[in-house]
Amino acid sequence: MKALSRLLSLTLISGLLCSVSLLAETPRETIAKAALNEDSAKKREIITTLVGQGDEVIKTLMDDWKADKLFIHTTAAGEKVVVRLQDDKDDAGTQSAVRVDDGATLKDASGSPLRLVAKEQKAVEHDRGLRNAMKAVLDLLDLSSPDAKKRIQAVETLGAAQNAEKLPALEARAKVEQDPEVLRELKEAAALINLKNSSDDVKVAALKDLKELHAFSSYDLIKATLKEAETASKAPVVSAAKDALAAIDSHRTFVDFFGTIFRGISTGSILLIAALGLAITFGLMGVINMAHGEMIAVGAYTTYIVQNIFGAGVTIPLFGLSLAIPGMHATGAWYNSYFLFAIPASFFTAALVGIALERGIIQFLYRRPLESLLATWGVSLLLQQVFRLTFGANNVQVGSPSWLSGNWTISDIIFNWNRVFVIGFAIFIVFGTYLVLTKTSLGLLMRAVMQNRNMAACMGIRTSRVNMLTFGFGSGLAGLAGAFLSQITNTGPSLGQSYIVECFMTVVVGGVGNIAGTVTSAVGIGMADQSIQQILLNPVMGKILVLVGIILFLQWRPAGIFVTRSRSLD
Amino acid sequence: MKRRFFNSMMAAALVGSVALPAQAADTVKVGVLHSLSGTMAISETSLRDVLLFTFDEINAAGGVMGKKIEPVVVDGASNWPLFAEKAKQLLEQDKCAVVFGCWTSVSRKSVLPVFEKNNGLLFYPVQYEGEEESQNVCYTAEAVNQQATPAVDYLLDQGIKKFYLLGSDYVYPQTTNLVLLEYLLSKGVPLENIGGGYRKDDSGKIISAGKYTPFGHTDYQQIVAEIKQFSAGGNAAVVSTLNGDTNVPFFKEYAAAGLTAEACPVVSFSISEDEFRGLPADKLVGQLGCWSYFQSIDSPANKKFVDGFQSWLKKSSITGIVKEGRVTCSPMVLSYDGVYLWKACVEKAGSFDVDKVREAWKSGLSFEGPNGKVTSQKNMHMTKNVYIGETKADGQFKILKEFKEVYGEPWLKGKFK
Repeated sequence: MKALSRLLSLTLISGLLCSVSLLAETPRETIAKAALNEDSAKKREIITTLVGQGDEVIKTLMDDWKADKLFIHTTAAGEKVVVRLQDDKDDAGTQSAVRVDDGATLKDASGSPLRLVAKEQKAVEHDRGLRNAMKAVLDLLDLSSPDAKKRIQAVETLGAAQNAEKLPALEARAKVEQDPEVLRELKEAAALINLKNSSDDVKVAALKDLKELHAFSSYDLIKATLKEAETASKAPVVSAAKDALAAIDSHRTFVDFFGTIFRGISTGSILLIAALGLAITFGLMGVINMAHGEMIAVGAYTTYIVQNIFGAGVTIPLFGLSLAIPGMHATGAWYNSYFLFAIPASFFTAALVGIALERGIIQFLYRRPLESLLATWGVSLLLQQVFRLTFGANNVQVGSPSWLSGNWTISDIIFNWNRVFVIGFAIFIVFGTYLVLTKTSLGLLMRAVMQNRNMAACMGIRTSRVNMLTFGFGSGLAGLAGAFLSQITNTGPSLGQSYIVECFMTVVVGGVGNIAGTVTSAVGIGMADQSIQQILLNPVMGKILVLVGIILFLQWRPAGIFVTRSRSLD
Repeated sequence: MKRRFFNSMMAAALVGSVALPAQAADTVKVGVLHSLSGTMAISETSLRDVLLFTFDEINAAGGVMGKKIEPVVVDGASNWPLFAEKAKQLLEQDKCAVVFGCWTSVSRKSVLPVFEKNNGLLFYPVQYEGEEESQNVCYTAEAVNQQATPAVDYLLDQGIKKFYLLGSDYVYPQTTNLVLLEYLLSKGVPLENIGGGYRKDDSGKIISAGKYTPFGHTDYQQIVAEIKQFSAGGNAAVVSTLNGDTNVPFFKEYAAAGLTAEACPVVSFSISEDEFRGLPADKLVGQLGCWSYFQSIDSPANKKFVDGFQSWLKKSSITGIVKEGRVTCSPMVLSYDGVYLWKACVEKAGSFDVDKVREAWKSGLSFEGPNGKVTSQKNMHMTKNVYIGETKADGQFKILKEFKEVYGEPWLKGKFK
């Protein structure tokens, strides 16, 4: 009897063992199976079965998959095998391969290790949905990643998935987490998961947490909960959900308000740096320079060339010839510093072009505004054609250095680095211009000549030289604007055309001949533009209403915000 | 002296007039109507190039029914009334058997009356909004169901639940987005999950969906901030019909706001390999495109086409032709397919007569092109494959999915309810 029962239990155990080994697939096998499946939905399904497994090999294999390092190899027998190539490339480009399903070295029919060339193998495909599915698997591993950003991302996806099984892992992490931002995300994720809880009390508590956190990312899920609660007519959940939504909405108003102020100031700063040069040439000198926009383009193209000198060099199809400019092949921080060199370079290039323009044409046209308008318009068309012949009719690519392409988010208000930079840059050049005009001898001479040319000449000032330098300075400022504009918009032959109207608008509204007026009007126009866009949710109407507003304003105050009393304008 | 000069001129003119008919007997005139100057020249010049390449290829192989193709190239100059005038010249003066041309919908709409009046035949190769079916136009272009709806299908399949519609303010994006709105609603996406806003008329009917910006718009701060909030909950995508170089400030702003292809992909219908030449490719990596051809298609027919075009470019002596860094893209291949399909139609009809060629087109002829098999349809459109691709840093697309032989259907509005 005993022997019989022992026999029975033995068979039972062995049967169990057998079925376990049949059922349990190793993660390696699962991944190989997913890789070989043709259907992308099925692939995701298979990958999702790995969720919750903490095997390190999963991460290695999935990272390789995403990096196109897994390949499908068809053996001589026609069997498809998923392999991972080792890092032992020889001169012929062959690498030894490891089977993904069992981790063994890939062997040919005779049993000797097979070496493959990566290029000849078909990389295992992956798409967005699959990468997201992998992320869900890796998130649990990422929860303890040393990189706070990765932890946040992991927590976010775990919360959005609303899977109650993940709750303990999140709570465990919350106990050891130091970073306040990650803690916030952990709290939110836990609350989102609790929204799915069957108990109303837990739901209400979660909604209270979410109300306090007022994160945009929870909006949709709260809304879904609200709908569900409404159909089931659960009053406490409905009111808690409504409270939470109201909190997010009021947070949205707050973010939109301050975001719009920031965007308004940044748009104003762009107008300001573009118009400041014009404020000097038009406002102080009285020259209507229609080629001001092309001075901006000169600055932008200079930035393009400086960037390429730091990079791989560039061939310019100069008037049908090819002019090769060699590059320094800089990388990393050194390459990213190119913009710091481009700023002075564009100032001086545009200043030189400006001086040439002044010597060649404008010096004969002082005090003849109509003729200077026509002549500089001609120059503008000419310069555009020169850009076309020099750089081609297409836009050229100017990349942003990495330190200008991120953002800084405070309480969901996004401050893009490039926009923060332009505000600082605008303050810097306004202050610089102020210093040049008031603290240098050149500034003193400039003001003297602008106020009364004849008297200044009588005092022995070489007025024509001062004119030349003033015009050069104004053009240089336009060049600076171009250097910056190349970072946010297209650099092409018609770059200047898209800014010239706005520049004149800014200077005229501000009051001709008054730098403070230009600053005020630039920021005012920028703010008005962005606020109207935010209110009407329509970018086109924003521009039109601003223009109408300016026309009405000029009817009321034809001389602009600040009226300058200067003899040069009489 | 003067008289002798005059006489020789007369003689030359006589010889010329005698020689012309003799020449006309073994050639057939074919019109090429694209903008070679103005704002559209950047895109359209490539189509002229590929058409001339195709004519040379066909001529080298013996021509169409033994006749060499004689191209008549005119410049529409991005000027729509001029397009109509040039079309008139091609049909009435040059008596072209067929015309390949037009890019923008407005240029097509301007030449349409001219083609209908003269019973001419236009091959139109650029993706368009549908809602049109002229007997005088062979639409080799992608209809909305050959680009926009497959892309949305793909996104839905990838688990995307929210869609933000964004476009340039003109007929193609407006119409496409209205169709997409209807399509998304029919797929069970609620109206609140479709971003960009919509406008209703007095009766409550939605007349415009999505956000629109003018050509040359550069300030995408507000829109990107809106997308950032819209996509915060995850599973969101932007469907972009932005045209031309406004894509540069848009994608720069998009990247700077911390939005990535992983967090919220953008699927664009107007950026092909050719447009990439002027875009910062590193800002677009991982974003999606949907076309009926990508240069990265791995097939012998495509390899032959790309190599043939590149070596033709090297030999070409057209003044001002760009030879470096050239790529092939969907409108180019659809132009190429169009020429071969026209050739097949003519050969089947046994005549260059437009009515007979049209009958042949309607009978459903096929051509194995660089983008796979294309077949002409009864409704003047074309059945073709549709590909979804992901952009790479080198300005090429990695193909993610292929929809086989999609039937071109121009009348979509009201079909999804």
